[in-house]
Amino acid sequence: MKHLRIPVTLALLVFVAACVTINVYFPAEAAERAADRIIRDVYGQPVPQQPAPAEPQSLNDHLPAASPVPLLVLLDWLVTPAHAAADISVNTPAIRQLEAAMEKRHQQLAKYYTDGAVGMTQDGFITIRDQKLIALQDRNTVKGLVASENRDRNALYVEIAKANGHPEWETEIREIFARRWIDNAPSGWWYQSGKGGWKQK
Amino acid sequence: MSVPGRRVLLTLLCLPGLLLVGTLPGHAFNATTLQLGTLQGEGWHAEGLQLQINLQDDNRARILLQAQSARLPEPLGRLTDLQLECAAAEVTAVRLDCPDGVLRLQSGQYAKQQIRARFGYRFTDKRLSFDLTGIRLLGGRLALRGEVATGEWQVDVEADGLSLPQLSTRLAAIGPAWPRLEGGGELALTAHLQGRAAALGRARFSLRLRSDSFTNAAGSLAGEDLEVRANGEARAIAGGWRLNLEASADRGRLYVEPLFIEVPDQAIQATARFDYQISNRQVTLHSSEYRHPGGVALAANGHIDLATGPLLRDLQVELQEGRLATLYGTYLRPWFAGTLVGELETKGQVTGELHWLAGELGRVKLDLADLSLRDRDGRFDLTGVDGRLRWSGDGTAEVSDLHWQGGSIYRVGLGLADLRVETTGKKARLVEPARIQVLDGELQLEKLELEIGEAAALRWQVDGILTPVSMQQLSLALGWPEFAGKLSGVIPAVRYDDGHLSVGGILLVRVFDGMITLSDVSLERPLGVIPRLQLDARITGIDLKALTGAFSFGRIEGRLDGRVDNLEMESWRPVAFDAAFTTPEGDKSRHRISQRAVDNISSIGGGGVGGVLSRSFLRFFKDFPYDRLGIRCRLENGVCDMGGVTPAPEVGGYYLVKGRLLPHLDVIGYADRVDWESLVAQIMAVTRQQNTVSE
Repeated sequence: MKHLRIPVTLALLVFVAACVTINVYFPAEAAERAADRIIRDVYGQPVPQQPAPAEPQSLNDHLPAASPVPLLVLLDWLVTPAHAAADISVNTPAIRQLEAAMEKRHQQLAKYYTDGAVGMTQDGFITIRDQKLIALQDRNTVKGLVASENRDRNALYVEIAKANGHPEWETEIREIFARRWIDNAPSGWWYQSGKGGWKQK
Repeated sequence: MSVPGRRVLLTLLCLPGLLLVGTLPGHAFNATTLQLGTLQGEGWHAEGLQLQINLQDDNRARILLQAQSARLPEPLGRLTDLQLECAAAEVTAVRLDCPDGVLRLQSGQYAKQQIRARFGYRFTDKRLSFDLTGIRLLGGRLALRGEVATGEWQVDVEADGLSLPQLSTRLAAIGPAWPRLEGGGELALTAHLQGRAAALGRARFSLRLRSDSFTNAAGSLAGEDLEVRANGEARAIAGGWRLNLEASADRGRLYVEPLFIEVPDQAIQATARFDYQISNRQVTLHSSEYRHPGGVALAANGHIDLATGPLLRDLQVELQEGRLATLYGTYLRPWFAGTLVGELETKGQVTGELHWLAGELGRVKLDLADLSLRDRDGRFDLTGVDGRLRWSGDGTAEVSDLHWQGGSIYRVGLGLADLRVETTGKKARLVEPARIQVLDGELQLEKLELEIGEAAALRWQVDGILTPVSMQQLSLALGWPEFAGKLSGVIPAVRYDDGHLSVGGILLVRVFDGMITLSDVSLERPLGVIPRLQLDARITGIDLKALTGAFSFGRIEGRLDGRVDNLEMESWRPVAFDAAFTTPEGDKSRHRISQRAVDNISSIGGGGVGGVLSRSFLRFFKDFPYDRLGIRCRLENGVCDMGGVTPAPEVGGYYLVKGRLLPHLDVIGYADRVDWESLVAQIMAVTRQQNTVSE
């Protein structure tokens, strides 16, 4: 019997499937989709289904027909597919953290939106519309919630611009959000009209 | 006496004569009408006066005095269509009495009135006494009783059911400082006023206010279920008034932006004694007190400037009692909303003094007793805080002591601490080195310098030493898997400047029998929404057996060196770094990698192909020797630029593990650019799986 001295080399094949997104032009439409997703999350509204990421490539597809290597251990790295070329990245830890905080805070703020005590501004923030609609003992709490929400929103706009490598996009991102906050709001909520008055959805 | 006055007098003097004549048989005077024209006196005048007298039997007369209009001192103002009718006035040589009269009048401000009027006039000293009831005013009723003689007068006022909104509108019209209120509320008032002509000399009053709910238009002043009582005295002095006021809120809730005050079981009370100078709007506060039972008691005196310039010219405030839960919870927290100390739960007592001098805060003296401060967001807490805080605004050096028994920052436990600080104006420094216990080690602060700059920007610098802190406790506190080892370091110059913390020295971590040095550590917004950490690290001599043992990853034996350059973490998660780890050059330790570790590395790919090893004859080998191993990753924008210990050009990849001898095992990676989030998620999944599945 021959001793088979087979240098067994285990090679783990890894397949490159990563795509890199380079944004050159500001993708306004994609920004609206991203804004809508975040806004709907915060408002607790159902989010339209995202396209499912591509399945990890099965190792069978990549077995070479005849390999000099007797044993192959194939390694699949799961790589999320590249986003569509015109999408913007809203998936950093910082953005997710801000979103989670805003979602939680919204549960406390929701009734004040409905009562008309709190309304949306033209520049992407919220403000107290009529504090007489808030019970005396809650006025300071609500003011605190409004201030924290505005702080988080500001940080969100900055973070989204930074996450996409273009800090100077902050103004446009804020403008897009300003429109989408109001458009996505349920009817009955109040927002500032251009001339300094209030309108109800 | 003025000419018109004489006319009235003459007329009235004639009355007895007329009566006498009237009783003579044969003569019957029925009615006499006298046109008196215009009359005026000190501070008042009347026009179109007409007096009608119907003499009756037994000294009685029916008197009707009419005036087209009259102007009286404010707040009575202009009245029209006055009619004073006395059905049965008694006239004697000495006096005229009207026990049952009616006064009708029209007023722009007070509408149409029909008032029961009783009055008497004494001819000898021209003294008029009157008693008016049923005056309708501001939704309620008013009664006036008083006397007038040669220009001097005094009046007792009783009012009931005055409407708060109507009263506030009337007061707002007089002086713009009064708020205009909507809603409900009733006022009852008694007062005694004394004066001369149009000038009020002295007043005493007592009032009670009840309101279900009221608010001003903006909602910045509002009350609910409120019951307030007040009384006071005012006396005219040269150039102004001297006032002595007391007020108590017995029940209710009051919102005075930004304070929300709820009256506890016992009434909140306030008193004040002060002089007010009208010309320059200066208030000299002789004494004042504010008591919130079970919470706050303070006393104050000084000078307040209501005209131009700083409001508190000089003021001494003594905080006699300050239960922090009430003092902070009700009175201070609204001012700190949004800051680091805006969301605290507090316990303990604070007493002290605050002095304002020449418009600025000049002196602060605070004594803290057994305070406990806990941030609701879990960022920090301190317990058993005692202290004596002293500060002078004029730059005099003052020494303060601060001492606490325990606490934590994020979840890192702090123990005893003792600080002695000297403040000089806007600067502070440690008088002697301070020691703060951290976990099982100690932070020794050699030097602390602090400065408050422009716009309350905070700047401080600390030199210190961190004596060894067990990594096991630290890793537990931070929620990491348990590490063995010690963290210690010399910290020359930790600097904080307006939100940015930087460490000038090097932190040494002894862990897994190796050493990690952290340098250029900088932390932005340490307690903010998104803290940002940057640092460089050098790793030498990590024992892989200890490391993989801690993570239950399967056993790898050997040593590891490495570097992490420009690590950036946001909210304690890495967003960028340039890292490389390899087996040290010339390392003579035993190099083995277990089958399980290889299985785990391969199952990170999600393919579960590790079973291939156990299906082949390799299953007889529990571990494999290796020559070198290593991994390198440059993380940017969520993508990891990966590499291994050395390239594998023949297959277009890189060696993660380079085998040696037999059985020869190479682990080769191929992905150049790897999604970081997914990689981390899968490593976590594998590790977690390993911890649940025992092998």
